[in-house]
Amino acid sequence: MAIVSAFLVPGSPLPYVRRDNKPWGKIAAGMQAAGEALVASKPHVILLYSTQWIAVLDQLWQTRPRVAGLHVDENWHEYGELPYDLKIDTKLAHACVAATSKIGVKSKAVNYDSFPIDTGTIVAANFLNPGGKIPMVLASNNLYHDFALTEKLGRTAATQASKQRKRVAVVGVGNFSGALFRGVIDIAKDKIAAPKYDRWNKKILKLMTSGDVKGLYAALPGFATQGKADMGFKHAAWVLGALGGRFKSANVHAYGPLYGSGGAVVEFILK
Amino acid sequence: MSKIHKKGEIVAGFLAPHPPHLVYGENPPQNEPKSQCGWEQLRWAYERARKSIEALKPDVLLVHSPHWITQQGHHFLGVHRLCGKSVDPIFPNIFRYTFELDVDVELAEACCTEGAKRGLYTKMMRNPNFRVDYGTITTLHMIRPQWDIPVVGLSANNSPYYLSTQEGLEEMDTLGKATRKAIEKTGRRAVLLASNTLCHWHFHEEPAIPEDMSQEHPESLSGYQWDMRIIELLRQGKTKEVFRLLPQFIDEAFAEVKSGAFTWMFAAMGYPNIPAELHGYGTVIGTGNAVMEWNLQKTNRARRNPAPRKTWNRAA
Repeated sequence: MAIVSAFLVPGSPLPYVRRDNKPWGKIAAGMQAAGEALVASKPHVILLYSTQWIAVLDQLWQTRPRVAGLHVDENWHEYGELPYDLKIDTKLAHACVAATSKIGVKSKAVNYDSFPIDTGTIVAANFLNPGGKIPMVLASNNLYHDFALTEKLGRTAATQASKQRKRVAVVGVGNFSGALFRGVIDIAKDKIAAPKYDRWNKKILKLMTSGDVKGLYAALPGFATQGKADMGFKHAAWVLGALGGRFKSANVHAYGPLYGSGGAVVEFILK
Repeated sequence: MSKIHKKGEIVAGFLAPHPPHLVYGENPPQNEPKSQCGWEQLRWAYERARKSIEALKPDVLLVHSPHWITQQGHHFLGVHRLCGKSVDPIFPNIFRYTFELDVDVELAEACCTEGAKRGLYTKMMRNPNFRVDYGTITTLHMIRPQWDIPVVGLSANNSPYYLSTQEGLEEMDTLGKATRKAIEKTGRRAVLLASNTLCHWHFHEEPAIPEDMSQEHPESLSGYQWDMRIIELLRQGKTKEVFRLLPQFIDEAFAEVKSGAFTWMFAAMGYPNIPAELHGYGTVIGTGNAVMEWNLQKTNRARRNPAPRKTWNRAA
């Protein structure tokens, strides 16, 4: 398997649009560091799964050769537009569409002008792949898929990349704890919504940095329920699936609050 | 200086669901994909609702859509003119619609202010590049394809999902009351559109031909039975009973009314115990959709001018 780098990053637009705000600026700096590590790994393609690209029928894969435009976040529209210009590895994306039937998933190719690209994908791409130079495969989050099935999807995508002899960076986009503040806060004093979520996030990060894969898998169900992990932490399932559940340790480039939710920029150390 | 308005009123409310399939089935010039047919019963239901809108001649259409999801507060479209191409992220194969809409910003601001006064976190959406969600666009197209009436678009705060159904719907009740006050203060004759499906159990795969109606039917018997029970109660004007059952309906039929539009509309209308007019019911990928109308103008007129009592002559 030719995975050359692997990352978990948050999909909130806040570090991108308001990096001048100290707590979010730290996450932005972490994203930038992760982007440098990704580029240094010299991948041919980035396999990216965002919890914010929601699907309910089938598994969707972006297959338009180039997607470009301006996006305004549904919630944080006051902070302006998110520009994007991404190159898609259509050969690999189509191979993924064809391959998922083997794991019992019906996939569909998405190739439409003005198709809405989600905030998480755009933010991650702009930090990790500035200028959109590295081709990408973008996968949706089908709400009816669980952690185990999402792992299989990640594995399938990595296998297809390997068949095409491609060096792969795999990226899962989403939060750690997903609990948010719902009203107005002093953004300069942003913090994790509750201490118990902070404790859960740190526990998961520790398991990752220590390379305790077995402990990580054991902790995940508790994290999903008690730690209110974003979308059941399926973005981590995507990455772990692509890695075949194997990594040595992890670097945490940044950890902090994103309007109460847990934002962590994690780079998995593979060798 | 603020303008002085005559007291406004809500002239009607509609349950106006937003499956993009209905636009696809109709083949308007704004939508790129073209169909052969499809979902006629629901489209004909909307034709009847369109006639009511024509007769009501409202100043403004307010739509609460579950596909503009906001986590922080209740948001309102606040740009005078919005345009663009809306591609449905779930059904891009059938909905790629070029839209232009005019927003009643003054009323939107009043709704925002009244909501805040009642303790809600509210926010105006001022970004001209904002992409209006397909739920808002589908409901508006189906109810008034001419696009000649200004609109107010309200987001669906995710409180019913993030908190509990009860807490979330209490927020929607407050939002509805705030909306009513704003309408009264700004002197508008307003129509409310609750963009909600009823039973939301759906199939997980599309037929090869999306408009193949031989594949269309309720996803579940229990969901269909729930829909019929709720519709029948609404047709009888048993609003109180519907709201007593609402949490159970939401749980057991996965009803989309959980997202708040239905409660928002009824709260704004003052939960009237008047019979709804059912314009039609149909399923879309298995979900239950009803187009229904509560015509407050007609009801109020009847109350003001009751028909003369007939004398019943048993001998006749």
